[in-house]
Amino acid sequence: MIEVKNLVKTFRSADDIVTATDNISFVVPDGQFVSIIGRSGAGKSTLLSLLGALDKPTSGTIVVGDKDITKLRDHELIAYRGKAIGFIFQSYNLIPNLSALENVMLPMEFAKMPKGERTIRGKQLLAQVGLEEGQMKRKPARLSGGQQQRVAIARALANRPQLILADEPTGNLDSANGKMIFDLMHDLAQTEKTTIVVVTHDLAITGKTDKTFQLEDGKLTVSKHK
Amino acid sequence: MNTVSRGIRNAFRNGIRTASLAVILGLSIGLCLIMLIAHKAVDTKIKNVKGSIGNTISVSPAGFNPGSQANNALTVTQLGKVGSLTHVTRISESLSDRLSTTGSSTANFGPFGNSSSGSTTSLVSPTTINLDRNRSGSGSGYHVFVGNGTSSLPTNFTPPITFLGTTQPTVVDGNSLKIVSGSTISAGVDANDTLISQTMATKNKLQVGSSFTAYNATLTVTGIFTSSTQITNDTVVLSLPALQRLSGQSDVVTSALVSVDSLDNLSSVTAAIKNTLGNTADVVSAQDQANNTIQPLNNVKTISLFSLLGAIVAGAVIILLIMVMVVRERKREIGVLKAIGGSNLKIMSEFMVESLTLAILGAVIGLLIGVIGGQPVTKMLANNSTTSAQTSDLGSDRPAGIRSFGNTTANQSGGSFGRSLRNSDAVRGLTNIKTQIGWGILLDGFGAAVLIAVLGSTLSAGLIAKVRPSEVMRSL
Repeated sequence: MIEVKNLVKTFRSADDIVTATDNISFVVPDGQFVSIIGRSGAGKSTLLSLLGALDKPTSGTIVVGDKDITKLRDHELIAYRGKAIGFIFQSYNLIPNLSALENVMLPMEFAKMPKGERTIRGKQLLAQVGLEEGQMKRKPARLSGGQQQRVAIARALANRPQLILADEPTGNLDSANGKMIFDLMHDLAQTEKTTIVVVTHDLAITGKTDKTFQLEDGKLTVSKHK
Repeated sequence: MNTVSRGIRNAFRNGIRTASLAVILGLSIGLCLIMLIAHKAVDTKIKNVKGSIGNTISVSPAGFNPGSQANNALTVTQLGKVGSLTHVTRISESLSDRLSTTGSSTANFGPFGNSSSGSTTSLVSPTTINLDRNRSGSGSGYHVFVGNGTSSLPTNFTPPITFLGTTQPTVVDGNSLKIVSGSTISAGVDANDTLISQTMATKNKLQVGSSFTAYNATLTVTGIFTSSTQITNDTVVLSLPALQRLSGQSDVVTSALVSVDSLDNLSSVTAAIKNTLGNTADVVSAQDQANNTIQPLNNVKTISLFSLLGAIVAGAVIILLIMVMVVRERKREIGVLKAIGGSNLKIMSEFMVESLTLAILGAVIGLLIGVIGGQPVTKMLANNSTTSAQTSDLGSDRPAGIRSFGNTTANQSGGSFGRSLRNSDAVRGLTNIKTQIGWGILLDGFGAAVLIAVLGSTLSAGLIAKVRPSEVMRSL
């Protein structure tokens, strides 16, 4: 379960202080598929950064499972990110000089998984997201956008995370590929029992998620339940 | 795939950039290596030169003029006392004399010195005097020849020939003799055996076993030598006892070269010799001369050291700028690595390996440049440095072959000893520096590359640590 309480994040700009998330509180039960919508600059990505322990809040708490991640030290955060969180980005963010398989194996290497084990798991995950054997050895530049995003999903699942955070995962894909990626994420959430929080503009996605939060000027204004 | 292999692979992401960087770094590391090679070669040379010319003391009769007869000649007995002083390892004693050639008009050569006995030799000097260059009156440069009150040379003028009796027949006037025919003479044996130069042998049609006359005696050619100076080629070498007997100068020594066990003891031994011989002898240490002589090499050493440091700094700056550029370029990628669980240490190590790979590529090119350029650059540096030093030092010297009967002032900056030092094999070989490229140098080259890589990647490591993982979200 994710429990967010009174979450505030402010940034200093040249003249004043900008509040990116303004006293946000919400709860997401395990295994749910949640979407966050909002206009550009509403604070969606900031919220995702805070949930993913990429940044620290100005105040408030985020409890994932039984751990308040706002109180973790830097080295604990690294371990937490590596094992408990999986990220999926809009522009895939795969390492360009590594093959698809090596990209998937990278978080497992950081988590100190033995090489043989991570090779097997990497191949399994890539097969699960629909990549063929020959494509696994290709570098990202030789894969299509949809294939790259599948590799990114496989990478996000590598360490069996409790939580997957996806930032506009279908933003760079056509509608057919976008639907396929969404379905894939949805299926994985079911089979791996992983909580997924996705930031999106795609209303087709929000219609299928368990819960949708709307952010406006850093405030959680609307929440929709299925 | 681990940190090391990823770092190596990262170094080859962009082939053209990698090649350009490797060449630039190669030039820098090559320069490092060349300067390292030059520094070591010059250092070795300085040690050799110091060992061969810096540890000697010249002893000559007070006010001795090599062109005239010794007025207060030193004796073997006096020098025996010097030989017993602490730290003295060897004394090389010599007696020089000159004979005019049979039939020549040099018998009354007056102030330029002729044989005390008025003896002649049947030898013809290998030196030929250009009569057009003979001038009367005073002046610098070539010397004044005055014969019977006239300003021109006698028509049958032949330069006198120097006879040198020595206890060290292998070295004359600081120059090693190379025996090309026959054998050398026995230093302590009183026999009419001589060494003559190949030039003299050719001119006089002599060979080993041939004889000629001098001091009304028949002398035998035991060996024929070659030497690099005309002065030595004009000299007939005998043992000291033989020349003392032939010239009627029993027990007389005109110069001695005292060798000391260490440069550190040179000053104390010089003082001890002065104390022993009193004002009967001029005692000149070679230390100042040696220092002056090796000064150009010291300059080269300093230049090479600073260039070495400069090249290391330049290489480090190149790597530093490259890695800073790379880190800025891959900021998002660093963010991704941090987001998926990569620690600062892992990511920094990856970049370190990348910079090390580039440095090693540079080192390979640098080693080639160093191996090819080490010797010529060292030689060029030494040549330039010693040429400028010699121009100022030897500018007033006379041409070789003329000085042996020229008028000299003893001990003007070392006098004859100074010339001897400057003409010695060791000094002439200052620019003859041999570079040695062994494993040590190659390892030093790789060490420099590693140092450059480590220095150059420190700032980038700091930048990596500062990249916040949330940057990856914000840049989207």
